[in-house]
Formats: sequence, C-alpha cells, structure tokens
Amino acid sequence: MEQVITAKITGFVSTLRENGFAVGVDEAGDTMRVAESLGVLSPKLLRDGWRSLLCARADEWHRFDDLFDSYWMPPNRQKMVETRTGGAGQIERDAGEQADGGKAGPVLQTGLDEAGANDDDSTAKEGASAGQSLEKADFSTLTQPEQTRAIEAVIRRFARRLQRLKTRREIADKSGRRLDLRRTMRRSVGAGGAPSRLSYIAPRRVRPRLVLLLDVSRSMSLYSFFYLRVARALAAELSDIHVFLYHTHLTHVSEALADPDPWRAQERLTILSSGWAGGTRIGDCIADFNRMHAGRLVHGRTAVMIASDGYDTGEAGVLGREMAALARRAKRVVWLNPLKAQPGYSPTARGMAEALPHLGLFAAGHDLAALEAAFSATLEVL
Amino acid sequence: MESLKTIAGLQTQLSQAGYVAERNLAVTMLMMESIGRPLLIEGDPGTGKTEVAKALAKVRKTKLIRLQCYEGLDTYNALYEWNYQRQLLAIKRAEAAGPAGQLDDDELFSAKYLLKRPLLEALTQDLAPVLLIDEIDRADAAFEAFLLELLSDYQVSIPEMGTITAKSIPFVVLTSNGTRDLSDALRRRCLYHFLDYPSFEKELAIVQAKLPALSRKLAGQIVEFAQSLRRFDLKKKPGIAETLDWAASLLGMGITTLDEAGAEQIQDSLATLLKTREDVLAMDHTTISRLVAAAG
Repeated sequence: MEQVITAKITGFVSTLRENGFAVGVDEAGDTMRVAESLGVLSPKLLRDGWRSLLCARADEWHRFDDLFDSYWMPPNRQKMVETRTGGAGQIERDAGEQADGGKAGPVLQTGLDEAGANDDDSTAKEGASAGQSLEKADFSTLTQPEQTRAIEAVIRRFARRLQRLKTRREIADKSGRRLDLRRTMRRSVGAGGAPSRLSYIAPRRVRPRLVLLLDVSRSMSLYSFFYLRVARALAAELSDIHVFLYHTHLTHVSEALADPDPWRAQERLTILSSGWAGGTRIGDCIADFNRMHAGRLVHGRTAVMIASDGYDTGEAGVLGREMAALARRAKRVVWLNPLKAQPGYSPTARGMAEALPHLGLFAAGHDLAALEAAFSATLEVL
Repeated sequence: MESLKTIAGLQTQLSQAGYVAERNLAVTMLMMESIGRPLLIEGDPGTGKTEVAKALAKVRKTKLIRLQCYEGLDTYNALYEWNYQRQLLAIKRAEAAGPAGQLDDDELFSAKYLLKRPLLEALTQDLAPVLLIDEIDRADAAFEAFLLELLSDYQVSIPEMGTITAKSIPFVVLTSNGTRDLSDALRRRCLYHFLDYPSFEKELAIVQAKLPALSRKLAGQIVEFAQSLRRFDLKKKPGIAETLDWAASLLGMGITTLDEAGAEQIQDSLATLLKTREDVLAMDHTTISRLVAAAG
C-alpha cells in the first residue's frame, strides 16, 4: 500500500487512541489488512469494517462515526450521513434516500432543526437587556448537515464571484493579455529603440475583504446560529475574512471558526462565547471595533457586514457616531436585519434609526435567499 | 477485494436465511473470515444477537455449535470431560476378563472415552462450524481468560492425550448483555458489533419476513405499536422476538387491524409483549387506545 495512505491510516488509529479507544498493535496491523481487502476507495465499507474492528464497546461504537468523519472528511464538506449507524440501526435501502441524524456524539450533527436548535434556553425575545449573560451557547448545531450544505452552495457561488472581481488598475504580468506600451518603450531604450522585449499588463485583482460583525445577543438568538454557519462556510471558502461576535463585548472568532477540526472549532467557540445570548451594546462594540481592529482590517475594498436587529441598550448617540466612522473607512457597510422581513417593519428602534443614515445597504438577510440577494448587492459595489 | 457486490450478496443470503442485516453487519461477517477474528456482539436483550450466529451458520451451510454460558461454567462443561462411567465399566470388564483383558492407560484415555463439549467439538469439525458462545458476560473472569487463550491459538491440550489443534478455524460469535464488563483483552481480540433496537423499516422487514401471512397494514401497525412501547419507561422493553410473538398471537386471534380490534382485545394479547407486572399495569385502556391511534 502506498506510503501516504499507510501514514494517514496510522494517524487515524492514533487519533482513536487519543480518544480513548483501546487499539493494540495487532488491530493497527489488521486495519491495513481490512483496508486492503475492502479497498481504500470505498469509504462506506471502510467505515463499517473499521468500526467493527476498532471499537470494543458500545460507547466507542457510537462515537466512531463522528471521529471517522472528523478525521477523513474535509471540514465543512458533505458528510456521508447515509452510511452512519442510526440510533436504531439502519437497514440498507436504495442509496441516496436516507437521511439519518445518527447518534450525536459530543459534537456534530444533531438531528435538531433550526428552530429546535434554539428553543432550549435561548428563546427569542424581542427586546434587549443590558445584563451580561453567563450562559454558554450550545455550538453543537454549528455543523448541522442539511442547512450547512445549502449555505455552502450559496457561499461557494458568492466566493467564486468575489474572487473574479478585478479592479480597473493594471499591473505588469508576464501572462497578461495587453501590451504595456510604456514599459516596452522604456525597455527598448537599451536595445537602441528596438522593442525586443515586450511587457504585458493584466488587470489587478484585489480580493475585497469581508468583515462580519455578528450580533449574538438574546434578541437575535433565532438567527445567530444561522449567521454563524454562514460565517463558517465563508471562512472555509475565503481567506480574507474576519468574523467578530458581539453582544455586550466584541470577540474575534475568525481563527476558531476556520479551525479545520470541527470539534476544536466548537470547543474554542464555546470558550469564546461567554456572554452569548445576553444583552446588546451595539454602539460600544462598534466603537471597540473601530478603535482596536478597524485600522488594521478595514481598507478601501472592505465590506463590513453587520448582522443585528438593531436593539441597542448602550448610550444614545454612540452607535450613530461609530457607524459614521466605520462608513467613512469601509467601502460599504451592509446591515442585515432579520426583522426587516416582517411585514410592517420600520426601523424605529433607536439603534437602527441611528445607524440607518450610514448604511450602504440595509437588507433583511433572514434566510438563505435573502442573504444571497444581499451578497449579490454587496458584490456590485465592491 | 470485497466489493459492494459480495456484500450485497451476503445480505441477500442472510435475508433468505430469515435475517435482515444492515450493510455494516454484512461487512463485519465477511471480515470475520478475511482476518480471522471472533465477533463480539453486544446489545439489549431481544435485539437478535443470537440470531446473527444462526443466520451465519445457515448462510455458510455449516453446523452451529452453541455454548450457553452461566455462572460457574468450567472447562469441563465447556471443553471436554472424561466419560468416567464408561471408563469404570471398561476397567471392570478388563478385571473380569483376567490377564487376557489388558487395558493400558492410552486406551483408557482415548477418544472413545472422551465426552466432547461444545468448544472441543467446534475444534474437531472438518467443515468450519459457527461457534456461538452465548452470554459470555455470565461466565466468570477465569473462564474468559481461558477462552482468550483458546481463541488466539485454536488449540487445546488435554494432559492425557496431548494437544488437539483445530482442523478448521470456526467462526466464533460471542454475545454479551452487559451484566458484567468484559476484559479489554477479550474485547481487543474480537471484532465488535453493537445491535440496537431495530428501526421501523428494519423491524417491519423482519416481521414480514417471518410472518408473510400478515397484511401490510397490520404489520405496520404492530411494528409502530412496538416501537412506541419502547419509548415508554418500561421495566423490560420488548425485543424483536416479542414483537414477532405478538404478531403471531394477533394473527391467531384473527385480527385484521389494530383499530378494529379495540383496546380490550389488545390488552389481552399484550402478555406476549410485556413481561413484568408493572409494565402490564402501566398499559391501561386509554394508553393502548392512544398508541393504537398513533400507530394508525
């Protein structure tokens, strides 16, 4: 067997050991034999084969799928849910039609739906409170498969378009299409005016930068997981993206979100999330952002996207002032307010009213379709 | 190279043998052969652990040798025993015959006087049998250690006769209910499979396979009822065997659908499904009617 594969399999075995599986040397050897006999290219069979080989007790049996996924499946990619053993065992049906939640290990893929994800402790209340919440958010729904897949599709489209963006400025490029006359002439001087060495130019590509400021206060609890999933999908596609969560204070979470290991990502977010679903001080948080991060992160081709319902409990006037500062710095400030989708909504909340004059785009963004529309509109101006 | 085809083939064979198996179990069964390890099956009572071995024997068209474990099981009951009575008789006969009837040790301790118990029997088969070691958790740790040795070498030594090596390596299936935690050493030697209560589809397939006379509607209702019973806080949850018994009894009573039968008749027949007094008392008419209505 190829060296690379062998090394990868050995790595898997030691991952299992680290997770408390009692895997001996014999089993490690048999892992290879099983891989050889089942064929390394059929992950479904390998999953089944290795599960029975490497598990020795019921709890390991139930955890195996998650470990297998997190080791072999690239992060943020489609998981092979159809092959997972369900709580009640699963019978072989026509492939493709099964969607099984599987037993939730400590992470990933609980069978909860979007609403269910939030109804445990963070019921949506419209209205803000100033109190800091000490609750820790449950991030286990962060990689919920179906929604994640839909989000990923939208994000991939967006990212592709974003990366194709070019500026009107041009730079020298050997493989460019257009002749750089000025440069060619200058270089021809040495050859006595014969343009023997040609220079080309191509449009300059500047990747626009995205900064996401996500409101995770209690009043936004219905949407915060949705936005977080969007942010995670974005972080997987784009390199130049910066995500912050805010409620009563601002937290930088890009690194935690981009962690390729979904387990660790969740763990880190949980640690970072103290204060999740508490009150909101949008103004102060934007001020924090302006003071500590904006100088470094926000340049002329940055779109700042703020997701919030605009219920601010901070001092009056702060939000307006800070938004103005931010709008001056950034190419475009987009505000996604899920409430905007409700019929009869008008931005009368004080925070919203203060921010409104400084926004480049005020969109609903309460679901995937609305979000895609907002993204497209953002792309237009970048 | 075990392709999907082989596995699907085994699944079909298993279902012909009356056992509905998921793909992962089929893969595991193939691996038992390819890497030669015993299979340890755990799961709640009534989830069909023993059936796995029976189905495997049917598919492999081989003998099923069963060793039921219990507390105090020793090697004499599991492996071999000398037939003392016959040996004594032989000695007596030799004495009576006088000097002519010579009887030496080798003859006295020969295969003729050996009572093979399941383990030894499994080792001396020409065609690899399926050896089912049922409820291994009931046997004590000492026996488990002995088993460990047997399962790694597939040979036993009988002091009077010498070492007996397996003619063919049997397919060993161990089952455990979890009354005692098994040693890591034994677990490590085995492939592992955990059998959960079946999903609706699987249980329906099983019921229909075992009782083809049952109408599709009644079978669906029965399985749905049994599935929702398992969600109750019962002392003893009904297994697949109980569902099958119940279905058979309903069939015997000439019931066509659950909602027609009414709560009373159902309660009478629940004896096949509920096995403790508390559970039977917990199922009053209203609860049953509710479950029946839910089972549609």
